[in-house]
Amino acid sequence: MRSMDVLVIGGGPAGVAAAAEMARSGLKVTLCEQGGALGGAIHRQPGNPARAVPVPRAQSARWHKLSALLAKTDAEVLTFHAFIGLDATGAVLVEDRRQGRLLVLRVRALVLAVGGLERVVPRPGWHLPGVVTVGGLQVMMKVTGRGPAGSVLLAGSGPLLLAVAAQMTALGAPPLAILERSRQVLSPLRAAPLLLWPRYLAEAAGYMRRLMQAGVPWRLGSSVQTIRPTDDGRLETVIVDGAGAVSRIVVDKVALHDGLRSNSDGLPPAAHATDRNPHVVLAGDCREALGGVAAIADGRNAAQQVIARLTGAPPMSSASRRIVDTERRAQQALANIFDFGIPDLLKLPDETILCRCEGRTVGALRQMLATDDQPSPREIKLNGRIGMGSCQGRFCVEWAGAMLAQQTCSAQPAGAEFIGNRWPSRPVAIRSLLGPAVADAISSIPPNESD
Amino acid sequence: MPHEISPVSDRANSVVIVGAGIVGMSAAYFLSQAGWRVTVLDQGAPASGATGAADGAVSVASKKAGPLMTLAVAGAQFYQDLCDAGVLDGEFVRRLTYVVATEPNELPVLDRHATQLREAGVTLRALSKAERDQALGSLAPTTRAAIEVQGDGHAIGYKVVERFRRIGGFAVKRNVAVQGLWRQAGKVAGVETEQGIERADAVLVAAGRGSAAFLDVADVIRPRKGQLIITERGEGIVPRFPGPLMSCRYLISKGSQPGGDAPAGRSFGLVIDPLQTGQFLIGGTREDSADGSQTDIEAVRRLLQEAVELVPALARLRVLRVFAGIRAATRDGLPIVGRLSAHENVWIATGFEGDGICLGPLMGRVSQQLISGAHVNVDISALNPARFRAEAAA
Ligand SMILES: Cc1cc2nc3c(=O)[nH]c(=O)nc-3n(C[C@H](O)[C@H](O)[C@H](O)COP(=O)(O)OP(=O)(O)OC[C@H]3O[C@@H](n4cnc5c(N)ncnc54)[C@H](O)[C@@H]3O)c2cc1C
Ligand SMILES: Cc1cc2nc3c(=O)[nH]c(=O)nc-3n(C[C@H](O)[C@H](O)[C@H](O)COP(=O)(O)OP(=O)(O)OC[C@H]3O[C@@H](n4cnc5c(N)ncnc54)[C@H](O)[C@@H]3O)c2cc1C
Repeated sequence: MRSMDVLVIGGGPAGVAAAAEMARSGLKVTLCEQGGALGGAIHRQPGNPARAVPVPRAQSARWHKLSALLAKTDAEVLTFHAFIGLDATGAVLVEDRRQGRLLVLRVRALVLAVGGLERVVPRPGWHLPGVVTVGGLQVMMKVTGRGPAGSVLLAGSGPLLLAVAAQMTALGAPPLAILERSRQVLSPLRAAPLLLWPRYLAEAAGYMRRLMQAGVPWRLGSSVQTIRPTDDGRLETVIVDGAGAVSRIVVDKVALHDGLRSNSDGLPPAAHATDRNPHVVLAGDCREALGGVAAIADGRNAAQQVIARLTGAPPMSSASRRIVDTERRAQQALANIFDFGIPDLLKLPDETILCRCEGRTVGALRQMLATDDQPSPREIKLNGRIGMGSCQGRFCVEWAGAMLAQQTCSAQPAGAEFIGNRWPSRPVAIRSLLGPAVADAISSIPPNESD
Repeated sequence: MPHEISPVSDRANSVVIVGAGIVGMSAAYFLSQAGWRVTVLDQGAPASGATGAADGAVSVASKKAGPLMTLAVAGAQFYQDLCDAGVLDGEFVRRLTYVVATEPNELPVLDRHATQLREAGVTLRALSKAERDQALGSLAPTTRAAIEVQGDGHAIGYKVVERFRRIGGFAVKRNVAVQGLWRQAGKVAGVETEQGIERADAVLVAAGRGSAAFLDVADVIRPRKGQLIITERGEGIVPRFPGPLMSCRYLISKGSQPGGDAPAGRSFGLVIDPLQTGQFLIGGTREDSADGSQTDIEAVRRLLQEAVELVPALARLRVLRVFAGIRAATRDGLPIVGRLSAHENVWIATGFEGDGICLGPLMGRVSQQLISGAHVNVDISALNPARFRAEAAA
């Protein structure tokens, strides 16, 4: 048994940086990661190092340093432990997925570093089997060490398309093409601000070199408008290019990606401790999606906030805050050349799926909105079953909010206006909830068991 | 009828309804049908109170003998009538309810309740072990007895509200908190809101818990929190049963039957409700608390434990959501419906605690009859708001 000051949720760069920093300051820290290993969205690698997915050297060096830092502390790392929620009494609920039991923890501070979300703008056919997200494809490669089988089209917008295409190529499975919706990527005027972040340019240049060698086309201004199943189980994509010309390609898989976003929906909000609740601090991409470098700095920021609140120590250097600010400008520069805007969803055909879990369509929501008497997000949720499915609204809520905003020409409501911030923040097995509840009892597991 | 107060003279009598829950929205519909000009004001949105945080048991089986049981019979019948008339078609389904005893000391409770239901004219039958296995294959072998009650149904509060809003022909104003009655020349002529005065010839207070502010006797309405659990869909994992399972402890927790050793302030009564989506709703607690946004692991574990004891296969599902709602309970356990004696043109319909989905449409209709001065065709004498006044004076 071990008493705990701080619980950190999420073993990505933000969570690991936060845990290491707090443990170094003498706080008793436990880090819970739902998966089998630390690393998060960016530093995940297959169990078998022989099959490692190539990543930029600077990136792996950063992670190496960070995990070494954590290993030197007495922070406890629990893998296969998923955060479920913070209940009304201030208890932090964690599901121990291997033992099928529930930890009911009382801690002084809770740092949530559960990562951001990958966006995929709905379009007809995006929900079909064979359509995946680019990030999901990357995770698959990182877990198995293999590229996807069959012909794959990558489409959407953002640097991740390039990174994943290069990784596929390195694994001997290059995509047919990358369709980049933005036309401005190579516009010198727009791209100029990025010169301030040579790291991004060097990374992109490395990816592009590999793609050019393999002859993978990067088509700017092109996008996938519609995806249809073919009789022989493949996918027909309808593509519109920069000049408005329409073409069709039949492929085995389509991977879509429209940027990354923060994800605090369903999480308890950041707040100071009360007589019941611990301090709650959000860190990394879940707070603001700014990429891997910012995530480390933001994790340190969170750590310093917690240290200040728990020990009364004065806030330390503002260096990490400056890094976050710089990275925010870098993301803004990237957003300026890529196209992360939300298209006019009201123009989508009726049958376009909006919510996969509950099978809700654009047409059904459009009908709900076509009234002078504008429903509130909560009514849209209840009557439209938006955010009611097992993904807890991770995918549909942003688009339902966008449609509401487009219909009423008003600001887009926050996800929490639809789904609140109730626990469980993700579905949890009744078996686990009923297993022996382990209150405040965490048996010590050597920190690097999972590495 | 109240006389005109607005400069516009060629309009119908107007009524403002405080609260867009199932009661207010039902009343709005019937008043609008009866020719009234209706405005519903809600501090949030339609169904943002208890109506949107409830189960939808339109249940006679769970009621306490007396006025509530009688009204519930009429309430369920009224749902059927509204379906037949095409008003609520598709929003109400008839179904059976099962009341189950698992402990020896629950057997007399079940017997007594069955007798009371029969006396209220409800059809039911006691199930033999073989019949239980056939109808409710998934029950634990420890089940001792069960009755199958006919005439119950299911309706989802927020969907009923949405239907009335769509077909209503009346205005709903969201985010308008009513601060009190507005008087002109010594007479109520509307309500005061943060956004200004809303004039009307008549006022109906159907504000659930918020109705307390309109009563002149304190501590009549008390918050009773309830926590509910929704599972994922159970197809192929948990055998379906045709209607909700209620434990005898549920009757006790609800106050429909005496007994129980629950600590003051919080009791548990198990209901497992097979929803039309294939999900299960598992409820619920009754707690003396007004904190409606909060749920706790102790309550959830206890409810799940009882649910799995009764239906072991539920253990194979995941919990999707947990939420809480606040019921507006009253000091004597009966709703409050009638005219406020201090005013000639202010009515109230509230205090439905755990029965407002069942009684909502009927009480909306009754409110319309009261306000229009029409004949009220159910006996609501026990619900008269003046009863608390008399008590306070005594
Ligand atoms: C799909 C995807 C692909 C990306 N690819 C790249 C790339 O190729 N190159 C690049 O530079 N950047 C990439 N990024 C961005 C980069 O990964 C992030 O900016 C960075 O990883 C953010 O770090 P983080 O610690 O905030 O979150 P993450 O790295 O996402 O880590 C969050 C961690 O929390 C865990 N977690 C989540 N919920 C729970 C829970 N309830 N309980 C317990 N643990 C939980 C997750 O399993 C994960 O390990 C990608 C991001 C995503 C989402
Ligand atoms: C957990 C739970 C389970 C339940 N299960 C069942 C069941 O199975 N069967 C059943 O029959 N009943 C059930 N109920 C009870 C049922 O939900 C309620 O009795 C019913 O919804 C009450 O409806 P109402 O219109 O009176 O009140 P509400 O739905 O609470 O509506 C009142 C409205 O008034 C508004 N309001 C309040 N004050 C003001 C103000 N000053 N100005 C403007 N607006 C105001 C509120 O925002 C609210 O929208 C359950 C309740 C709960 C909480």
